[in-house]
Amino acid sequence: MGLITLCYRRFQRRRGWLLLLLLILLALASWKISQLQIEESISAMLPDGKSLVAHDFQLLQQAPFARQLVIHLRADPEIDSHDLLVATDQLRLALPAELFKGPLSGPGEMTTSPLFNQLGQYLPVLVNAEDLQQIAAQLEPEEIDQHLAADLAQLLQPQGMVLKETIRRDPLQLEGLVLQKLSSLNPIPEVRLQDGHFLSRDGHSSLILADTPISMTDAVGSKALLDAFAVACQQLPDGIQANLISGHAYTLANAQTIQKDMKLVLLVSGMGILLLFFLFLRSIRALFVYLLPLFSMAMALVVTAAWFKPLSGITVGFGAVLLGITIDFGLHVYFALRYGRCQQGREQLLCAVSRPVLFGALTTLAAFAVLLSSALPGQRQLAIFAMAGIVTALLLALLVLPHFIGPNKENGASSLRQLRRHVYDRIPSLRIAVLLIWLGVVGFAAVQAQDLKINAELRQLSYLPPALQQAEQALGETWGNMRSRALVFASAPDLEGALELNEDIWRKLQGHGMLKDIVSLAPLLPSQQTQQQNLHAWRTLWQERQATVRDLLQLTGQKYGFADNAFDPFWERLNEPERLVTPELLERWGLEKALNNLLLKNDQGYQLLTLIPDQADLIQQLGEDFADLPGITLVSQRRFSQQLSYEIGADFSRFITLAGVAVLVLLVLLFRRIPEVLLALLPVLTGVLVMFGGMGWLGLEMNLFNVVASILIIGLGVDYGIFMVCHGQQEEHLASSRAILISGLTTLIGFGALVLAKHPALHSIGLTVLLGISAAVPTAVLVIPAFRPKRH
Amino acid sequence: MLKKIFIKYLLLLSLVFLATTSVNAEELAPLLAELQQAAAETETLSSPFVQEKYLQIFSEKLISNGQFAYQKPDRLRWELLTPVASGFILRGDQGERWNSLSQKQEKFSVKSDPIMGMIAQQLLAWARVDLDWLQSRYRMEVSSVTPIVLTLYPLDQGEATFIDHLNIQFSTDRRHVSEVLMVEQGGDSTLLRFIDAQVNIELAADTFQVPEL
Repeated sequence: MGLITLCYRRFQRRRGWLLLLLLILLALASWKISQLQIEESISAMLPDGKSLVAHDFQLLQQAPFARQLVIHLRADPEIDSHDLLVATDQLRLALPAELFKGPLSGPGEMTTSPLFNQLGQYLPVLVNAEDLQQIAAQLEPEEIDQHLAADLAQLLQPQGMVLKETIRRDPLQLEGLVLQKLSSLNPIPEVRLQDGHFLSRDGHSSLILADTPISMTDAVGSKALLDAFAVACQQLPDGIQANLISGHAYTLANAQTIQKDMKLVLLVSGMGILLLFFLFLRSIRALFVYLLPLFSMAMALVVTAAWFKPLSGITVGFGAVLLGITIDFGLHVYFALRYGRCQQGREQLLCAVSRPVLFGALTTLAAFAVLLSSALPGQRQLAIFAMAGIVTALLLALLVLPHFIGPNKENGASSLRQLRRHVYDRIPSLRIAVLLIWLGVVGFAAVQAQDLKINAELRQLSYLPPALQQAEQALGETWGNMRSRALVFASAPDLEGALELNEDIWRKLQGHGMLKDIVSLAPLLPSQQTQQQNLHAWRTLWQERQATVRDLLQLTGQKYGFADNAFDPFWERLNEPERLVTPELLERWGLEKALNNLLLKNDQGYQLLTLIPDQADLIQQLGEDFADLPGITLVSQRRFSQQLSYEIGADFSRFITLAGVAVLVLLVLLFRRIPEVLLALLPVLTGVLVMFGGMGWLGLEMNLFNVVASILIIGLGVDYGIFMVCHGQQEEHLASSRAILISGLTTLIGFGALVLAKHPALHSIGLTVLLGISAAVPTAVLVIPAFRPKRH
Repeated sequence: MLKKIFIKYLLLLSLVFLATTSVNAEELAPLLAELQQAAAETETLSSPFVQEKYLQIFSEKLISNGQFAYQKPDRLRWELLTPVASGFILRGDQGERWNSLSQKQEKFSVKSDPIMGMIAQQLLAWARVDLDWLQSRYRMEVSSVTPIVLTLYPLDQGEATFIDHLNIQFSTDRRHVSEVLMVEQGGDSTLLRFIDAQVNIELAADTFQVPEL
């Protein structure tokens, strides 16, 4: 403490230089901040390294439709589906190409695609063992008779003209088997195709899918995108509405909500702090105290930006909240020097107050240092940010602020501390009442805290506008679950290996009878080895059956009047040279969209995706099946949320435990007596317990934002405890109760006002602070003195 | 010298061609107007028909008999009675087809079934004598005036890959189509002869219902 007194003396006559130094530092910090690169991604708040959650998060980003724009058009019942499709095309063409890349309202006229003419040629390499059994059954005399009779009936009808060549090529309708395999490429469960467009089963909805260069976290770009969409929608006829479903709509809604929230919150907290200022401070010099967190934040930004590149936007946001702690240091110094009482004068007051300030800062630093071991990169950034801010605030509070506070204005008669001490002395039952109320609140909170649950659903952290939720629900109801399926990745360094693994997945799903609603390339693009095996089995079958079937076909054909050469194309095809299905062939057939969604290439090799319903039992079963298969990874949004929930819970438990131990060790070092240590811990324990209990009582779930905001409660709560216990021990009157009261009120007004916010993240922070600080402040200023009155 | 003769020959050829088309066009317009006027009075049409198919896929000509019915504006029944009872009915955009062999009945929409959509449009156009639609789809020539025979060449590329041309013959009273000859690319052809067509008679209530199989 002598060092602080020494510094005070040194700078006392050089205040001008001190101010100049501060201004230079502030200017440099501002310049550096203007150059900052801020990353707006939630990934900073997900565990990194080799954690399963980080891995799953990366893989989930690759899900089809996860990054795509989905436009859902809905027509009133009286509107004809043809008119809906015309409007769909008009909208598709009206979308500006620079924002909506490759808009697609359907696969196009598939009848003109070479797919349908050529697919049959690949029947020999695509039929598997089950298909061959079906084919063998179709080669029986009765089946051949039935097929040729049906062919005759078709040819006599007007449509026979179009079907004639198909019937010659495939009189037994074997190509149907390979056509069925196309259905496994359909990622939209409830779709049907009309005139080359995606149309819902009821004929009243259509779809447009598009890519966009606008990042999903870019609020300005999202606004441009949605504005352009709104303009394009203006030309839609009456009775047809369109909704754009993508992350951009959420980004914009969140950004706009936060803007509105901040206006309200800043207005309320600004007025509150002004009121506080006029009620309790009433001095222009007190403004320096309020500038202290701002300066600390600027320096913290500079230090953290030097450490991490790029800086997470979430870190900056949370960090700004957490540095609210630093106002404490300034307030204690301000009140001690302005209103404290000590016979030895100002230097002694500074020396006395620097002890709790220093220890308060040290405990907070220790708590944040624990965050350095967090699995979340954002939390580690936050630790550096908060520690840099706290060190800056500590230096400012002890070395700079004392020179700008002004003379001592001690007013003992009106001191809250004295008034309260007098009240407890005069009315001892009041002390008992305070303790009983405190016990009641703590007991109630402890019971209610048991109901608190952790919710790691990332979507819960965002503002979800009801209109967007309804649009997304309508999309799911109309088209099936197209945007949130579980993914199974088959990865291998070479394409052949990946295709083989992909088949393994398909066979596994088939073994469980789970082929419904599965999207996979496996049936249409087996590995080359499988295709060769299929071809071999196909040729073996025909070597055995060709002569018999040829006779049967000719004989039965004659019965129905078919010419002897009617089915020559069928036999010619059987003798065609082998052709294998390749990704390039699928592209030529116009299936590149499906291919791009399901076949990915990266530095490590190839990945094939299989989309499956995200059902708990299925995921559980497949998780066990695939656990021992190298190269196969199952990723599910449902499992990801559970895992994230577990990781956040574990991270928070570790933080609480380690921070608790660190704080405890520092408190033992400071006070060296267990009763004082326990007393000092009362505000923080009460604050955290009431926060948990309050949330449990209100039926709220603990999310990522509550976790971070609770650090603020812990930091402030410990400070309050240290100050009140020191206050009780020291002879000097440091006006600690008043400082704590103002600190608590400032925090409540500044951050508790966030409870008025509509955005769930801001609201969560506000609620946490409101509950925690509302309990910690009375515990510090009322309960600690009730346990241990100030010594005289 | 040879060049001059060649140019004169080309000129002559062009003039002959222009003269032929202008005569054809002059003939066509009043004929079409007359046909449209007559067809406008048609509310219902019912006719047995004989279909003769000359297809290379079959060893001989395939003859089948059927029944055709039309009711203004968009109801159709196309039914083959022999050799395989099969057919379809159409009520606006929606239809239903049946096949006695497979014992199957199935519904369809002309919008989701492009082949049936094309066929339905053709049959309706013939029944209504919808010359505006036919002119938008085909280049027309008058092959004969008594009886009126129009030759239609498809303008649509897709349709032209199947159909080379159509000959449509009208009844002597010009109120309905009496014969349709469809010649496919490759030489196959189908001849439809509508016999004893009855115009504006009251159709049975179940005409546009699927028969019991």
